[in-house]
Amino acid sequence: MKTKKYLNAGLVISFLGLSACSSDFLNVPVQGKGTAATDPSLAENLVTGAYNTLISGDAFGSGDTHGIAFISVTNIMSDDADKGSTASDQIGIIGELDNFLHSPTNIFVGSLWSGHYSAIAKCNQALKALETATVDEATKKRWIGEVRFLRGYYYFNLVRWYGGVPAVLRVPESADDANKDDKFQTRASVDEIYNIIIEDLNFAVENTPLRNATQKGRINKGTAQAMLAKVYLYRKDWQKVFDLTSQVVASGQYNLLDKYEKIWRYEGDNSIESVFEIQTGVFNNTDYGVRGYCVWQGPRVGGKGGWTDLGFGFCTPTRELVNSYEPGDTRVNATVIKIDDSGMHKGTILYDGYRIPSKDSIENYFYNYKAYHSELKTLEPFLGNRDNKQKNVHILRYGDVLLMQAEAANELNNSGLAIANLNRLRNRAGLGDTSAAGGQPLRDAIWKERRYELAMEHDRFFDIVRQGRAAEIMQAAGKNFVKGKHELLPVPALQIELSGGRLTQNPGY
Amino acid sequence: MAARIILSLLFVLALTATGAIAQSGSVKGTIKDAKTSDPVIGASILVKNTSRGTITDLDGNFELEASKNDVLVISYIGYKTTELTVGAQSVFDVMLETEDVILDQVVIVGYGAQRKVDITGATVSVKGEELSKQPVMTATQALQGKVAGVQIISSGRPGSSPNVRVRGTGTALAGTTALFVVDGVLTDDISNINTSEIVTMDVLKDASSTAIYGARGANGVVIITTKKGKSGVTRMNYNNFIGIRNAANLVRMANAEEYANYASAASGNLVPQGEYDTDWYGEILRNAFTHNHNFSLSGGSERTTHFLGFGYLEDEGIVLNNKFSRFNVRANTDYTINRKVSLGINTSFTHSDNKDVNLGAAYNNAYRAAPTIAGKVDGRYGNTSVYQNVGNAILDLSNNDNKLLQNRIQASGYLEYKPVSGLTLRSAIGTDVVNFSERRYNYQFLNDEVTFLNPGGNQRNPNSSLNVKNENSFRWVWDNIVTYSTAIGKNNLTVMAGTTAEAYSLAWALANRQNVPADNDLWYITTGNANTSTNDGSGDKWARNSYISRVNYNFDNKYIFTGTLRADGSSRIAPENRWGFFPSLGLGWVMTNEPFMKDMALFETLKLRASWGRVGNDRVPSDAFTVTVTPNLAYPFGGGIATPGSAITQIKDPNLKWETTEEFDLGLEYSMFKGRLYGEVGFYDKKSRDLLINVKVPAVVGDEDGVVLTNAASIRNTGLEFAANWRSRINDNSSYKIGGNITLNKNNVIGLNGGQPILDGGIGAGQIYTTRTDNGHPVGSFYVYQVLGVFQNAADIDGYVSSGGKVIQPNASPGDFKYQDTNDDGRIDDKDRVFVGSYQPKAYFGINAEYDYKAFSLSMDIYGNVGNYVYNGKKALRLSALDNVEKSLAYSRWTPGSGIQDEPAANSGYLPASTYYVESGSFVRINNVTLSYQLPGRLLSKAKIADGKVFVTGQNVFTLKKFTGFTPELPDDSPTRSGIETNAYPTTRTIAGGINISF
Repeated sequence: MKTKKYLNAGLVISFLGLSACSSDFLNVPVQGKGTAATDPSLAENLVTGAYNTLISGDAFGSGDTHGIAFISVTNIMSDDADKGSTASDQIGIIGELDNFLHSPTNIFVGSLWSGHYSAIAKCNQALKALETATVDEATKKRWIGEVRFLRGYYYFNLVRWYGGVPAVLRVPESADDANKDDKFQTRASVDEIYNIIIEDLNFAVENTPLRNATQKGRINKGTAQAMLAKVYLYRKDWQKVFDLTSQVVASGQYNLLDKYEKIWRYEGDNSIESVFEIQTGVFNNTDYGVRGYCVWQGPRVGGKGGWTDLGFGFCTPTRELVNSYEPGDTRVNATVIKIDDSGMHKGTILYDGYRIPSKDSIENYFYNYKAYHSELKTLEPFLGNRDNKQKNVHILRYGDVLLMQAEAANELNNSGLAIANLNRLRNRAGLGDTSAAGGQPLRDAIWKERRYELAMEHDRFFDIVRQGRAAEIMQAAGKNFVKGKHELLPVPALQIELSGGRLTQNPGY
Repeated sequence: MAARIILSLLFVLALTATGAIAQSGSVKGTIKDAKTSDPVIGASILVKNTSRGTITDLDGNFELEASKNDVLVISYIGYKTTELTVGAQSVFDVMLETEDVILDQVVIVGYGAQRKVDITGATVSVKGEELSKQPVMTATQALQGKVAGVQIISSGRPGSSPNVRVRGTGTALAGTTALFVVDGVLTDDISNINTSEIVTMDVLKDASSTAIYGARGANGVVIITTKKGKSGVTRMNYNNFIGIRNAANLVRMANAEEYANYASAASGNLVPQGEYDTDWYGEILRNAFTHNHNFSLSGGSERTTHFLGFGYLEDEGIVLNNKFSRFNVRANTDYTINRKVSLGINTSFTHSDNKDVNLGAAYNNAYRAAPTIAGKVDGRYGNTSVYQNVGNAILDLSNNDNKLLQNRIQASGYLEYKPVSGLTLRSAIGTDVVNFSERRYNYQFLNDEVTFLNPGGNQRNPNSSLNVKNENSFRWVWDNIVTYSTAIGKNNLTVMAGTTAEAYSLAWALANRQNVPADNDLWYITTGNANTSTNDGSGDKWARNSYISRVNYNFDNKYIFTGTLRADGSSRIAPENRWGFFPSLGLGWVMTNEPFMKDMALFETLKLRASWGRVGNDRVPSDAFTVTVTPNLAYPFGGGIATPGSAITQIKDPNLKWETTEEFDLGLEYSMFKGRLYGEVGFYDKKSRDLLINVKVPAVVGDEDGVVLTNAASIRNTGLEFAANWRSRINDNSSYKIGGNITLNKNNVIGLNGGQPILDGGIGAGQIYTTRTDNGHPVGSFYVYQVLGVFQNAADIDGYVSSGGKVIQPNASPGDFKYQDTNDDGRIDDKDRVFVGSYQPKAYFGINAEYDYKAFSLSMDIYGNVGNYVYNGKKALRLSALDNVEKSLAYSRWTPGSGIQDEPAANSGYLPASTYYVESGSFVRINNVTLSYQLPGRLLSKAKIADGKVFVTGQNVFTLKKFTGFTPELPDDSPTRSGIETNAYPTTRTIAGGINISF
């Protein structure tokens, strides 16, 4: 009887042991996603991932660095371009920005902020992984240089749009960590941000090789020097601008491309003139480029229709821009697709032979030629995905370097070099030499040249704010610009709210 | 010839009849109450399978004709129905036992079954027939309004599973839905279960009842038991319903004239009325045919019982090109090997086929599209895109062809061994295998005159594409449970202990190619252009291990004690916090078993119970605490094929821990007036701590989607529940039942774990957030500008100044909203937002009534919900002056001199989040009305049918609501953003008829 009891007790205990498992049972690795522990080339991949942020353009969602939000606050907000498209399309978001009616809740104001901080976070993640990466010291420094360039570039955009912003230079341990560290939640001063940018770019200058010693499209010494020169341009440190641009010129890595219009064609990708250019190509058998860059700016059907259009028709060059080129300036035809409004129905033939119908079938009068990418597959690569066309975006090129050098030279009373640089660009554009000899007239001439040389290249609005002429020019263009307010964008309302009110708003908003 | 046959038939019939009479005699007797010995007046005595019968008189006496083989069926409301064979006896004194709804009910609890009276927690059992009479797709939806404390929020979207919220919203993640346990198999989705195969659904509401499910119990547990066979009789059953579904409620949009008028005012340009007047909802919706057939066979011998069921359901869908069908087979078998060993297997196979359409886009486009644009004329579509940048909704539904197939096998098997009396060892394995395949084909079409009446616009697809996805998952759970019961004198003790292990794995692969021919026999990846191939795939795995125990002690059926403890380990929680302990305690006092109440005839049962328990929630993604790398973030250096790269896009909380809920529950269960009135009164106080919430974080944190999963808040729900059921007899031919339940709930955030208030409910178009979850307010409270009125003229605008004399809205125009400057700083910004209520209802209730008259039965279910608010978000998604407006707006908009204060002037949208969009969410709905007729026994027996019924039923018959949108029932996976209508799916109304026959 007793044995039976023990037997039963034994039975019960061993029975219960059947589905009691060892602790290993609960150590289930994450499926389908690498972790810091399982990816041997994590650091290198994160560096590439940091570059990947350049093509983000989810303006209505997670974030934008060079998509329609970027296009809106650079070109459309300036006097170079109008909102375009139909009168009502995106009136509430892009229309507001175009006419300076935007509020802190504007979606693009928010997605630029989050797109840039998301990019900065990826740079910080890569930098953190590089600290412990097992690669040779030279490669490691080069990669750190490339990533710090990207971070510096993003801060440069942020400081120009929003002024002093939170200086995030590390990966937070958790959301709570970020919440408790004031650096994440409060704004650094404009000077502090510029110091960060200068430090980052200087590191890149010192640790990246010359252009011809690295892969095409990678950040190199020239890219970093030219970008740093531009940063100093905004700080009015003319000597530094002059020295850095001169180093770029002296490096022998760059020159002007013979034909201006070729810069924006496939054959001009990574040309001799290219200094900082966002790369595009093919991934997963599909077009891989800045999201929406071409389709947002593509010519749009309108009127009586009758053709398959190329895009949504935003960011249309202003009539004022088109009409104010000097007579004989060939750059206008490389910058603007002019729609045939002659009534003769000749249409507009583009460089690839594509015919755009005349005005009665099309919505707007002008379109951005610099954002056009041919769908003729024999001429330019195209796999059919209009949202991510393989259209490289030119952020900085040698033409700009020459103009920066000219401006610095003029400020440093070296007008000879300034005039020479200016004339190189004017002559390429089919124009004669400048008549300005120095001082303010030459400064004005350089500023004017910047507009036409760099039209629709995302520089104009920053430039006129830098020059202190934004209010005057914007008001003359009939915009609702308030001096002392609209030089900066508002800090996104949501971000202020999420910081518990610790982030402060820009003046006037 | 025919006449001769009829004659012979009549002759045979006559013979039979005389034979019956020849053998019968008079039977008489008295019917008394077994407890009080009082006569039972009006009890019915029926000869089984005939219509012969009588009722007792004032002294409880009866008399009727019956033969010795006849069976008498004696029944009366409140008493157990008794059957007796006449035999040689001719006088009967029958003592009727009172039927006690509380004492007699057996309730399935976690890992066992108990008498309802022995339970110290809050549980409710719902019978399968209550659910299956409703023509709905899932049993969960049929549960609406049946149980106090259980809120079911269902949308009209086909194939969607309703939200089940037990006793308020206590948790925030996808896990807001209760845990389902189907014949021992744990699952989150019961859309594969055929409602007509359900015997009972037992809802475990409070933490002391669900603590036995530990980390799975935070949202309540619904235990489903499917049908089993009975030894002896072999029964076949066939039931069906055939009906029509349509949209129960539509928002009426402006017609062409009204639209042109409004759009002209909004855009400042003359918008022509044109030749078309398209009712876009009318174009995409239809009356859908739906039918459902179930056949079952059940029976068994002494040692074996079985149930076999087959079901087929088809629902055409109220939207063009949509269709859903489901086929299921079930086999439940039980074997008793000997006195000590028994085993059984329950298996169910389901195949569902969903022809899915792009509902979201179609509904949204139908809402915005101008009525002046044609829908479809002679095979070509009106071009809404070129007109106003909105897709043609008809084309949205027909430019693709999608097939979603699911095969699911859910099976469980058990082996039970009883070595000695009172000791049971039970080992059960449950498995759930899901194979899901998806094929989506998008037709090639251009924005040209082949497709559209006029060319242009963005609605086009230059390359056809085919997407194929295959997903396989496997889940198993193995329970080993030992139960020991003993009774020593008046002490009854049951002890249970067990271990369970559970694991899940899933893998999916996706392939895509373009330029696939439009012939559906060629819709395979191989026919597409190989140079366009893309693919993707991933997977998931997790595991749980648990130790469970329970003690039930009952002294003299008066004092009851229950204690449980479960330890849960989950792979989804970081190792440091991996194990959670979930205890519960319960006490019960059956007052009616006390001597002082023994003689009280008023109550059959009166039981007081109190309990406390703690449960958890681990339903977070498997990678919630592990920092992972997102691959495929490439960069093409120098053009061409891009170099693969990766990034850490998600910030993780390394300290992620269990969400825990503690609940105190107090209840009174009663059954009185001989069981004619019974029900429960309950009180609960539930505190959910460390809620796992996807919290919006500042962009500087660097999380790509801007949300981080963390233990962010604590919520308290307190509530009262009342349930009462009354049943009575009017006369011999008619009786009625009426039941009602109401739940009063108060939801409040009681802590934010040191974090910021949670902002959520963004709907785009500048309304980045609409809700705020903050201390002292219900979770997901709407937080918006307060509209004070409409500026009537320029003087009004200039006169609207802060106390500092600043004009508050200097840029406003007459006809714009005047918003409250809450902080009086002379400007309208986020600091002026105010809390204006939440989606959490203050009360919800159900009323279920049935009236029986002879063979007819009429039943009605009512459900309602009061005191909550919904956000009419789709109104805010008007993105242009050319978008259509609601019909009412076309008339009620502000115009100069109109003096209107509640609607702005015609505008092009993009208004800020304000009280303008917040509407009452209260509603009362007649969920179901069913009229059924029991076919006469004589007719049935001729056709060899044991039981037969025909019925007509209406589901979602009528709704009384204030909300101007489609439906105030808006399920969402997160309560921090629930109750916002953007892409609304109109709820459906069904009118159906059917039969239910048994052989």
